[in-house]
Amino acid sequence: MTPTGAPSETRQIAVEGLWRNNPIFKQVLGICSTLAVTNLVLNTAVMCAALIFTLSLSSATVSLLRTFTPRNIRMMVETLIIAFYVIIVDVLLKAYWPQMSSNLGPYVGLIITNCIVMGRCEACGNNSRPAMALLDGFFNALGYTFILLIVATFREVLGMGTFLGLSVPYFGGPQWDKWIIMVMPPGAFFMLAIVVWVFRSIQIAREEKAE
Amino acid sequence: MREKRWYPIVYMFAVTAAFSSIVIGFTQITRARVQANASLAFERAVVTVFPQLDQTRMSSLEIHRAFAEQITEPDETSGGAYTLRRDGRVVGYALPIAGQGFWAPIKGIIGIDADRTTVTGAVFYEQNETPGLGGEIAKAPFQDQFEGKRLGPAGAPIQFRRPGRDLRDNEVYAVTGATQTSTRLEGIINAALNAWRARLGEEGGTQ
Repeated sequence: MTPTGAPSETRQIAVEGLWRNNPIFKQVLGICSTLAVTNLVLNTAVMCAALIFTLSLSSATVSLLRTFTPRNIRMMVETLIIAFYVIIVDVLLKAYWPQMSSNLGPYVGLIITNCIVMGRCEACGNNSRPAMALLDGFFNALGYTFILLIVATFREVLGMGTFLGLSVPYFGGPQWDKWIIMVMPPGAFFMLAIVVWVFRSIQIAREEKAE
Repeated sequence: MREKRWYPIVYMFAVTAAFSSIVIGFTQITRARVQANASLAFERAVVTVFPQLDQTRMSSLEIHRAFAEQITEPDETSGGAYTLRRDGRVVGYALPIAGQGFWAPIKGIIGIDADRTTVTGAVFYEQNETPGLGGEIAKAPFQDQFEGKRLGPAGAPIQFRRPGRDLRDNEVYAVTGATQTSTRLEGIINAALNAWRARLGEEGGTQ
């Protein structure tokens, strides 16, 4: 990645993060949170917003400090920076959206250990300009977000008959026998596996076509 | 300077100090708000279980005021429950309950009429059960069931039943798919009610 900042550069970062090198279905990172928070769409959306904030800013901050940080302690510094942003998100939620904070429980704090964040700081934050690192973090988080929202939509509609808490026609009615397993942890494994399978198949099919 | 052996140590200390101070400052700024949110959740729960107080149209500030002005703190005659009094007479009890749920502690309030038998409401305002399953205990359809129930004999004043069964006066439906949460919540409620009755009994049990 050359730090020129041309529009095509930005576009390439976007394509990498959202599709070609998508953190979920290509890199298979951050799976723990994918499984944990995707049974209700609203919780997922807030979790993803928190990740977009954390990932973009920590990657940019790592990049800002990269010329001062000694190589041998860089991972300690990265963890510190990530924890810093996560605590800010956690405190903000506790103060201004206590209901959501209690819904997400410990998962906000666990963003610190989300492998995507550390992965992007290492892969991009350490060796690009802050603006590029910010964009890279942003688009990777967005790539994570759209996959999670797909998983969460299926889980909530099939398992609860609702979308964002609102009843969905047909699935919300008595004729739909709710698939309780979809909102329980095993449902996440099935959904995630199907989503990864579908997206990888599309990706491979397109690559073969291109050749 | 970067080649010096002490540089990484000093650098790490400096970076940690800088980021920590920002976080500490930030936490201080929002602390009052976080605490206010926690106590408001409790006050809202207490006010909600009294049918005499219509909490649905109250703002957060009005709830806080209603709690401060109308609710009496637990004393020796209430067996550990908060009370609502009119002209010096108790018209309702709000009994705090707390215990371990499936994932995390559950806290709630059970409202009981002055007859010490009729349940006037139940609110579970702090819980961390599985969203969509055990988490349903925090929602209206589950909590509304308690209103109008009559506490059963000593031992198990309130009982949970499988959804679909016929219910008696002291029974409510458990949450489908959340056996652990339901069983534990049932235990928490009954332990609190039994302890409350025992305390009231010791005081002479004037009804």
